[in-house]
Amino acid sequence: MKDIDFEFNMTFPIITPLFDDIEQRILSPLSCLREYNNYWMVEFDLPMVGKKNINVTFNQNVITVEAKLKEQYSEEKLGKITKFEYFKKSVLLPGKLDSKKITSKFEKGRLEIKIPKKTDGTIIKIN
Amino acid sequence: MEVFLLLATFVKENRMRIVKPDTQENTLLIGFPSNGLVGTFSISYLIHHLKMKQVGEIEVEDLPATLFVEGGEILGPIRAYNKKNIFIVISEVPFNQYFAERFAFATHEFCQKNGIKKIVIVSGMGALNQAKATPKIYGLVTDQILENILYSNNIPKFLEGSIFGVDAAIISVFRKSKIPALVLYAECHPFFPDPEASIIAIETLAKILDIQIETQDIQNRMDKLRIQYRNLMEETIRTLQHDKEEGTRTPQIYR
Repeated sequence: MKDIDFEFNMTFPIITPLFDDIEQRILSPLSCLREYNNYWMVEFDLPMVGKKNINVTFNQNVITVEAKLKEQYSEEKLGKITKFEYFKKSVLLPGKLDSKKITSKFEKGRLEIKIPKKTDGTIIKIN
Repeated sequence: MEVFLLLATFVKENRMRIVKPDTQENTLLIGFPSNGLVGTFSISYLIHHLKMKQVGEIEVEDLPATLFVEGGEILGPIRAYNKKNIFIVISEVPFNQYFAERFAFATHEFCQKNGIKKIVIVSGMGALNQAKATPKIYGLVTDQILENILYSNNIPKFLEGSIFGVDAAIISVFRKSKIPALVLYAECHPFFPDPEASIIAIETLAKILDIQIETQDIQNRMDKLRIQYRNLMEETIRTLQHDKEEGTRTPQIYR
């Protein structure tokens, strides 16, 4: 395994709770945040979404993903049919991050965002 | 000559051990929420597709009361279904380690009461960073008698890794019993619902049970299923995560 790929807490990621906004017709997507030694990986599950309809922003350590669904998604909750048109979620990342080197890819309806950590520590001499 | 004779004996012995899997004996399929919700998707699809009849509910001691209402009908979270020689036990709630063991014992009791000759567990094997590849499926058996099912259906054997949670609880109970168990592990996304992986599991189950199952319906609904099952996936991860954290606590004596 390459050093760069070493993952902390291999078994479980940080899961952010789901809160759907029925009034705004916004679904909260599933996401997971995993830490590697040099970067963080945030993944969003975005089925029923096209790559061109995804908007990702990064501001003060918060990654926000907004995406328009290809078609309305209907769900029955407490006997009432609710229609959803968008996905939206924000995830807060810890520590210092290098926002200029953020990369992302979208495959099989899953968005992966890689956020490199910023290292600005001092070298300690060993006598 | 001696080498030839030895080889012939070996081949003969090996041939003698090969027994055609009996697809007509009472078989229990088990599904519960785990990685990628593979078991939940594939087993509930089979119930629907084979038009199986509910034959009862499984009671797990101390399990907090949970009920589902479907079309005005009250349903328990763990139900048993049957059609001909195929039996199914499906749980719609994830289990922590405590309830996993009770669920395993309750399932074993169900097997004894219904003359089950083998069980097949369908689960997911978390595999990250394999978005482009087609998911693979692996098999693990508790008794050599089921190895032939793996060979005859080209299912590679799960050779190395660790198992915990409900899978481990069921395997632990059945490896000590006379009822052999086969676990199917479909590679899947560990933290998101993965109906694509469950299609591989359904196709493999069809081969094992020697039945025809059309998967077009689930293929058409894959995206919607991923949205529909977000909450169950989240609940499953939280349950497993809690278990893991509990499990890694320092034992009392070292505190």
